[in-house]
Amino acid sequence: MNLTKNRRPVRLTLLALGGFILLGGPLHGFVNEAISLALEAATPYVEQGFEVREDNWSGEVEPGKPLLIRHQLFRGNEYWFWAGTSWPGATIKVDIFDNEGNSVGLESFAKDSFAGVRCLPQKTATYFIRVVASYEKEREGLTAAERGANDPVDGVGEFSGSLDWGLVYGYR
Amino acid sequence: MSARPLLSLFLFRIAFPVLALCAALTGKLEAEIDPAAPERIDLTNFPGELVDKVVVPIPAEIFAVLDKLDEPDWNSGIELPAESGAGRDRAILALTFGSLVGEGFIAVQAKNPDEIQKIGRRVLSLSESLGLSGAVRPHSLAIVEAAGKSDWAKVRDELDATQQTVRTTMERLRDDELSGLVSLGGWLRGTNVVTSFISNSFSEDKAELLNQPGLLAHFRSMLGSMKGPSGKTPQIRAISTGLARLEAIINQSAAIGEEDVNQLREISRAMLDEYYFVKP
Repeated sequence: MNLTKNRRPVRLTLLALGGFILLGGPLHGFVNEAISLALEAATPYVEQGFEVREDNWSGEVEPGKPLLIRHQLFRGNEYWFWAGTSWPGATIKVDIFDNEGNSVGLESFAKDSFAGVRCLPQKTATYFIRVVASYEKEREGLTAAERGANDPVDGVGEFSGSLDWGLVYGYR
Repeated sequence: MSARPLLSLFLFRIAFPVLALCAALTGKLEAEIDPAAPERIDLTNFPGELVDKVVVPIPAEIFAVLDKLDEPDWNSGIELPAESGAGRDRAILALTFGSLVGEGFIAVQAKNPDEIQKIGRRVLSLSESLGLSGAVRPHSLAIVEAAGKSDWAKVRDELDATQQTVRTTMERLRDDELSGLVSLGGWLRGTNVVTSFISNSFSEDKAELLNQPGLLAHFRSMLGSMKGPSGKTPQIRAISTGLARLEAIINQSAAIGEEDVNQLREISRAMLDEYYFVKP
């Protein structure tokens, strides 16, 4: 994790943490903020009967560099994949493709630090989920909310060149 | 023919494709709102990074589909072996732990609170042998409590969380190999029970659930890269050979046939006999 980066407002973090606890996530010594945001995006879908998996994918990536994740899906289930990034002002997108590279996403959304894509697999096979985290704003262009609750001290909150990302999924 | 297979046939051959077509048309309309979403990508020349991590589906994901296709007698699939944790190799304990969690998913599908509670307690006992009881105890208690309340979704969540907690703890202790074996144990127990049900009442739609070449390749690679004495035990070698046989059957033809399923069932059972259904 990048320890020098600016943090989102406390309210959002608490909300994400609440969602994480509600979803039965394990509480460890730290909270992966990107995963917490992805789980926050998943929360409304849990009420629709989606079971969200505990296992997930996360890491850091250069802005704009696409990530490709392989995953086994089963025909007969419906899936949602939710992605998140916690860097203030960064955005994230998620798409899904079959093993020939054709888009199979049926519905999607991307709003700032959250994104999601829904899929109804036409065959039981390995699918590919593409995640792209982007960051274009200069720090000066950020709103107070994006900068966080407090102004950072010198050197803290400067963009280090990589963004955190997290991806979770649910099925029903 | 009873009504259930007809309903399954309708769902898989007619309703799902029609729904998918409608949804695809809707999806295309929505894609126009987001012109950056590509219709196709070149997987052979992907301009980015392929993420190494493989998330193994839990048995409940496959069971959910099987329940939509048929009415399996999940109670007949529960087969909790005698307890034999003490003094065993840690790799075998990790595999057994995963399979025990897999057993829990079968018992949840059967909505059998007594068996779930037994499995919840057994999970805790096995975690003591692995030195992880502190991390597992809250989940074990939650499994027993939720089973008592017939809260099946909660039991499923806790089983998934138990496995994840154990794997995360092992990874923190730099026991990544053991973490992977937990997933393999769960997958193997789930696959074996699924092959049994499909053998009893074969259909191509059900057999397609076993088309998992990517996961088989992942497990084979994982066992092949195991370092230390655990990777050379007769049990791990037998499981490695079993995975190669499963992979050969799945990769040999486009569609998995009835005889293939029978073989997959026998091979997966023999693999479980190496460490899980072993006689005390």
